[in-house]
Amino acid sequence: MRLNGIEIDNVPAELHGMRLLDYLRTERGLTGAKEGCGMGECGSCTVVIDGAAVTSCLVLVGQVLDAEIRTVEGLADAGHGPLQRAFVARQAVQCGYCIPGVLNSCAALLDRVPDPDDEQIRTALDGNLCRCTAYNRFYDAVHDAACERRTDQAGQA
Amino acid sequence: MSATPPTLLRPASATDVTGLLRDGRAICGGTDLLVQWRAGAPVAAMIDLTAIRASIPVLEETAAGDLRISALHPLTEVTSALGEELVPLRESVAVFASTTIRNRATLGGNLANGSPAADTVPPLLVLGAVIDVVTPDGGTRAVPLADFLLGPGRVQLDEQEWIRTVTIPASARGCGRPGGGFRKIGGRAAQAISFLSLAWQWRVAADGTLTDVRLAMGAVAPTVVRLTAVENLLEGSLPGPDLIDAAAAAVDEDIRPIDDLRASAAYRRRCAAGLVREALGAPAHHATRDER
Repeated sequence: MRLNGIEIDNVPAELHGMRLLDYLRTERGLTGAKEGCGMGECGSCTVVIDGAAVTSCLVLVGQVLDAEIRTVEGLADAGHGPLQRAFVARQAVQCGYCIPGVLNSCAALLDRVPDPDDEQIRTALDGNLCRCTAYNRFYDAVHDAACERRTDQAGQA
Repeated sequence: MSATPPTLLRPASATDVTGLLRDGRAICGGTDLLVQWRAGAPVAAMIDLTAIRASIPVLEETAAGDLRISALHPLTEVTSALGEELVPLRESVAVFASTTIRNRATLGGNLANGSPAADTVPPLLVLGAVIDVVTPDGGTRAVPLADFLLGPGRVQLDEQEWIRTVTIPASARGCGRPGGGFRKIGGRAAQAISFLSLAWQWRVAADGTLTDVRLAMGAVAPTVVRLTAVENLLEGSLPGPDLIDAAAAAVDEDIRPIDDLRASAAYRRRCAAGLVREALGAPAHHATRDER
């Protein structure tokens, strides 16, 4: 698999039946993805696999040995620094437990839809529960990040 | 903390699957099986079918004009490939669980699970779907969905068989909007297992007459059921207020809801009538003074 841009070969067969969430946290030391419910309902373990946001508690390592996987730790390198900064600027983070999953869902959306509307953001986040803060701040942060990425790209062109 | 990981085998091709299912459960999206496993369902080995996707198109059109849909690809990839086709199926996927689950879950898993509340099953039933089952000898058998569904958690799929594709006959295509749709009632918009659900499709003649009327309801009987009494009323008719009232009343004959942890039978009967009204373009319910 390719994990945050790094090629990983020879994952031992005895780990193939491990949940991707456990593999990331215990074998790779990537503790951004959190276990909330362990049954795909809360979204705090959301990672991006081949461009799609999925809950890593419902994926087994052996299923994704040929996949490109991105965790919250790889977001900035994937061009999503603006998204992370916008979450800070908009004070969209309180306890933080859900945030790695929320960021991954938002980043996967922005990769597909550079300028999403509120409805698209709401749909992208329908599998991510946050009980602290206001989802409105997530929407504002995603709009800010989309705007900044557009400006950056215009500047580079 | 999770249980000891099962052995996971990942056959590279359909022929390699043969034999492996004798000792293991098929897994693909895993969004149901891994939840069951975590809850304690014994699974010694899992046979992962995701590598076989490479040999199956997400969607192909046969020479006869049938649509053959992969049972192994994630639902989001299926609906992207469908474009404007098969409105009831696309509308059901739009309200299926959540984005993260839709990016993983498959038609094959939703069918094999055999839940009376499975959201993709009512639309597939109104679309006349045929399930393409791969048998242990490497052949396939085509099972009409109505025959495939046996009861709660039971489908016509032997232990060593798996679902490769789902075929929608050409005759079910082209109804478009407003001739089809899907509605569900659940505890909330996302991640809800349906209290009940309704898929419908028909053709609307120039004068408004309905033909090829098909409706199917989920979570109101041991399997998803066609609403034949409602269909017979509507077929060849022009919907008006009286007919809509009659259709909403007729649904009572078609369903056998039970009280369970999600909803009562009485609530399901009221909602069933309301969904039939909505499908016909009427408000779900006119509250009487006593109910306000």
